[in-house]
Amino acid sequence: MDFDLTKEQEMIRKEVRKFALKEIDPIAGELDEKEAFSEELTQKMGEIGLFGMFVSEEYDGQGMDYISYIIAVEEIARIDGSQAATIAAGNSLGIGPIYYFGTEEQKQKYLPGLCSGEGLWGFGLTEPTAGSDAGGSKTTAVQDGDEWVINGSKIFITNAASDMTMGVTVQAITGTRDNGKPEYSCFLVESGTPGFKAVPMHNKLMWRASNTAELYFDDVRVPKENILGNKGDGFHQMLKTLDGGRLSIGAMGLGGAQGAYDLALKYAREREQFGQPISKFQAVAFKLADSAMEIECARNVLYKACWLKDQKRPFEKEAAMGKLYASEVMSRVADHAVQIHGGYGLMKEYKVERFYRDQKLLEIGEGTSEVQRIVISRYIGC
Amino acid sequence: MKIFVCVKHVPDTAATIKVAGDTGFEDADIKFIANPYDEFGIEEAVSIKESQGGEVVIVTVGGESAPDTIRGALAMGADRAIHVEIDSQFLDAELTAQALKAAIEADGAPELIFTGKGSVDTESFQTPYRLARLFGMPVVNEVSALEVNGGKALATRESGAGEKQVLEMALPCVVGATKGLNEPRYPKFPDIMKAKKKEIKAMGLSDLGVDESAAKVTLVKMEPVPERSQARMLEGSVDDQVTELIRVLKEDEKVLG
Ligand SMILES: Cc1cc2nc3c(=O)[nH]c(=O)nc-3n(C[C@H](O)[C@H](O)[C@H](O)COP(=O)(O)OP(=O)(O)OC[C@H]3O[C@@H](n4cnc5c(N)ncnc54)[C@H](O)[C@@H]3O)c2cc1C
Repeated sequence: MDFDLTKEQEMIRKEVRKFALKEIDPIAGELDEKEAFSEELTQKMGEIGLFGMFVSEEYDGQGMDYISYIIAVEEIARIDGSQAATIAAGNSLGIGPIYYFGTEEQKQKYLPGLCSGEGLWGFGLTEPTAGSDAGGSKTTAVQDGDEWVINGSKIFITNAASDMTMGVTVQAITGTRDNGKPEYSCFLVESGTPGFKAVPMHNKLMWRASNTAELYFDDVRVPKENILGNKGDGFHQMLKTLDGGRLSIGAMGLGGAQGAYDLALKYAREREQFGQPISKFQAVAFKLADSAMEIECARNVLYKACWLKDQKRPFEKEAAMGKLYASEVMSRVADHAVQIHGGYGLMKEYKVERFYRDQKLLEIGEGTSEVQRIVISRYIGC
Repeated sequence: MKIFVCVKHVPDTAATIKVAGDTGFEDADIKFIANPYDEFGIEEAVSIKESQGGEVVIVTVGGESAPDTIRGALAMGADRAIHVEIDSQFLDAELTAQALKAAIEADGAPELIFTGKGSVDTESFQTPYRLARLFGMPVVNEVSALEVNGGKALATRESGAGEKQVLEMALPCVVGATKGLNEPRYPKFPDIMKAKKKEIKAMGLSDLGVDESAAKVTLVKMEPVPERSQARMLEGSVDDQVTELIRVLKEDEKVLG
């Protein structure tokens, strides 16, 4: 057994940490406050290689393993959840499906621009009537000669309405299966296609500097080669995409927990009450000890899931566990971190309040905690 | 142009240093980084190479974990590196300069040598001067702008008195880099992977004919500095207090530039 990361993985961590501290930390609070998505920062993240990390170099990706990608998301999340969301969604949901399921032409056409960070791509699955229950979706695609005609809407789609957005992958019903259930396929819809509208969503509690959109498809025509992979593969593609995506949400939980813990430990050692640093009070010290332990456990389960994936072994159960556990660990750690900061922890001047807010999405997005428990319970034979 | 950059492997300035024994500190668990001033040198060397061609060689005198820092410099675009491995945590400045000189000379004739203006760990600010003296080269330290053209280097430095000096020297020369010279780049991830394949030539002090027992200055004791008392009360009129506060933040605490 070997728990050591490679020198290159360690260097990725070191470099991303340095980048996050220097480029993101000074402006994260302001972007959050103004609810502003930063194109400039996204492009900077692209320049160092944060997009397309697991994509091979022939499509201008960085050609790295999955664990390096997860470490990068973790390190960004240690400083800011919103930027980590842009990276995690950009890679796992935007780039991932095109890379894993796209035709050679699709990959050549879209991946270089997405891997350089010049453009972003959304992944539209959730609908107003279909969240946890993907079967409730109503968006349809009907073939008409050499084109598909898409009608419907999507909600909460990350990276889909920024000025950098080049398009979205959208899941739609394309027929009925033999068993009577709907057949799904995914389509690539470029920004600017007539009838396609992406409207930014505002007033979020968390991830305020990440771009979230509602999508409307009104007789949107795309050429028939814009179908992703094969007709009828949409459901399978979605499940595979979410399996990988869970690792990146887990990384956001892990990194966010680490960030909140770092702030809390530092504060507890500096803040004095009753003539001593509050870290000397057992009630505070135990919160920090629990946090350190849980972060360690979260890191282990998540890295193991990534290792399984890099070994091309089944990792789905561990991915669900890693996502569920890391996001709930962040919930507890961010809660402790605010508590340790006392009244100051509730003020925007102190960063922990942002971690406290940003955490909540992790228990909801890409499969709620309840859905993760359903997934795990199926794997263990319930 | 053949450019050498001397890079020191130093404890992260954010690390908490625990003194161990009489003359050492615990280094197993602390993070090491490239001396930040040296990074300005690496960036400058790499950008000169990019515009004028040539080769950038990193030279590090440091302990066995120094290659971690060297890889970072290689990922920023340096071509290869020389690691002079030492067992001790501290080496006399004169011996360091001798080792750097011998390693550089063995590799080939330098046209330009960068160091940082000083290192953030020991802060003795000697390497650029001692190295230049051993080579018999001109040296300018604390360089915040540099032009290299036609066998000459035009170096700008800010003197403590608040004026800027522009100094011309013939190549080869030693340049002590400081903040302002450039913005060191973040290595791109594929370059991190490529850095793995670049050469790091390892050698010891004795291979270079440097006699460690000939140190001119020896560290005999290292002690932690007692923490300074926490609160400082400022007195006088509001104007006086503000003036004093700004002075404290700038000069004593160095949190304002
Ligand atoms: C900021 C943000 C970004 C997002 N980005 C994307 C994106 O890029 N692409 C995308 O497609 N989607 C995205 N989403 C959508 C997200 O994946 C969904 O919100 C999530 O899947 C939950 O769906 P829902 O909101 O409709 O909740 P619902 O499914 O309505 O769930 C409501 C509650 O009921 C519970 N519940 C539902 N079914 C069951 C069950 N069978 N057993 C037990 N409990 C159950 C849930 O766990 C939850 O607690 C994003 C959401 C947000 C907020």
